[in-house]
Amino acid sequence: MSSAVPRDKAKVAAASIAAERRTPTVVLAAGLLAAAGFAVPWVVGSQLALTLMTQAVIHAILATSIGFMIRQNGLTSFGHAAFFGMAAYLMALNGKLDAMPAELAVLAAIAVPAAFAFFAGLIIVRLPALSFSMLTLAVAQSLYELMLRWRGLAGGDDGMAVRLPSRLFGIDIELFQAPSSMFVVSWCALVAVIAILTLVARSHFGVLTVAIRENEERARYVGYHTLVPRALVFALSAAVGGLAGVLFALYNAFVTPGALHWSLSGEALIMAVIGGPQAIWGPALGAVIFFVVKNAMGDLTEHWPAIIGAMLIVVTVLLPQGISGLLNRLNRLNRRSREAGKA
Amino acid sequence: MIQVINGLVYGSFLYVLAVGLVLIFGLRRVTNFAHGSFFMLGAYVSYAAAAHLGFWTGMIVSVAALAVFGALLDRFVFRPLSREEPIVTLLVTFGLLFVLEDAVRTIWGKDYISVSAPEALSGSVTLFGSQFPTYRLFVIAVAIAVALGLAVWLRSTKVGLYVRASSVDPVTTAMQGVDTDRLSALVVAIGTGLAGLSGTIAGPLMALSPSMGGYIIIDCFIVVVTGGLTSFTGAFVAALVIGQFHNLGLVYVPEVASVIPLLIMAAVLGLRPQGLAGPRK
Repeated sequence: MSSAVPRDKAKVAAASIAAERRTPTVVLAAGLLAAAGFAVPWVVGSQLALTLMTQAVIHAILATSIGFMIRQNGLTSFGHAAFFGMAAYLMALNGKLDAMPAELAVLAAIAVPAAFAFFAGLIIVRLPALSFSMLTLAVAQSLYELMLRWRGLAGGDDGMAVRLPSRLFGIDIELFQAPSSMFVVSWCALVAVIAILTLVARSHFGVLTVAIRENEERARYVGYHTLVPRALVFALSAAVGGLAGVLFALYNAFVTPGALHWSLSGEALIMAVIGGPQAIWGPALGAVIFFVVKNAMGDLTEHWPAIIGAMLIVVTVLLPQGISGLLNRLNRLNRRSREAGKA
Repeated sequence: MIQVINGLVYGSFLYVLAVGLVLIFGLRRVTNFAHGSFFMLGAYVSYAAAAHLGFWTGMIVSVAALAVFGALLDRFVFRPLSREEPIVTLLVTFGLLFVLEDAVRTIWGKDYISVSAPEALSGSVTLFGSQFPTYRLFVIAVAIAVALGLAVWLRSTKVGLYVRASSVDPVTTAMQGVDTDRLSALVVAIGTGLAGLSGTIAGPLMALSPSMGGYIIIDCFIVVVTGGLTSFTGAFVAALVIGQFHNLGLVYVPEVASVIPLLIMAAVLGLRPQGLAGPRK
């Protein structure tokens, strides 16, 4: 849990002012990290490795969106694939129906899941955390069934191709489908997402939502509206999930109901849990570990579901704060022993 | 009219599944994300047992096996984790969902398996001028039996009183000297046993596949939340209403039927955030 939970309006404001001073650091760090991404395709020659890394980064974005929801709202979504798949299907359906230019479709594919989450959120973030978790799974599975059964619209089980123009935002579409360039695009998106979410978490809004997470009643007595900020966090999280879905649709140029299935939600949730959502970057780290483990399993991947299930159980019980929580704790212990050494 | 009865059949069977979750929530204040897999496991166990022992013995084997499984789940998952945040238990049971589905796929394969109704119920009766399979009426009868059995058990026995007390306030109940751990093992066993029962009766209604749990859990969760989490009556009403409309949807607008339960739930929760029969905050 976050160390300092503000208890009144002045403290919420003070905490966010203190954090805003560090904004340039975050932006600079993000710029450097994004730039480093451009070097990766030169260093990593193997197409196979790059394919895998691109997948990992796209899933890392989805995992980050789940982690942000847990961190800011204390609510765990078991159905974030809903937003991922919704965005991917919106891209595909737009290609089929030619409703709008692809650039606009990209923006819509991020905005629609966000709006959907906001309005759904007005109803479901009020519920107990347990009901919220159950319903996210139910909503995602309903969309899965919808796409599975509506053969006329979306090809059912066979899925549908994502028809794209030859250029998108002035960039040759093939660059989105080649692993070496798509890795850079996804990487920059991931870095931007983490930077933006870090700034949001440190802003007045971010501090306020953490305060609501810790004690909604108190936040209300202090004079804040609590429902809309929580629904907004859900919407922001859904937008990030939608972004991952857009990247997925561009990269694969094909989408199946699998993009909405609970196993995808579950995998992304597991990444977030392994990485530890208390750090904004934790879930992305979890995604990398997830893909490394999956790749190392080799022949055992036939039983991959059982392995990730077991992994989830072990990590939840033994390492509830995830890897990032462990790292932070080690860091703190280290600092304390150094201070003790000085004294 | 026949469709309304079909909806009643689906609602009945949703009730048997959902009430198990209501029972578990009452004692442990958590839910079992693997409930759908238990349902699926129940269907496969009874299918395997029925091949040698016949439908009825298969049903008993399935309910008993799942009840034992539930008692183990309570002892080794719910009880040790009861001091942690609820989310820990949810994540662990969610992990179990992955493991069980993989196990069933490995043992029985991923192809659909169809199960026929027992001979005594394989005929059909004439209802409102059209033929209706006897087996479906049997499903309704099972749900009524479960509902009545639970009502009698909860209302008129001492253990039932403890269960009701605990679903209102588990901590106070434990302070009054009720061994909530033993009670919970029993209640979770009944809950998962009911999942085994609903899996068994679902066999002849729908084809068996490892993904059948993922399909049914949508409506089951929606029923539990709409009913108000702790209320048996709420779950009963929600199951019948949602089962009815989902079934009518499947007949008239099959493409979009899967979102109908969600819309009903949104309407109910919009008006009553605590669910149909949930306690006011």
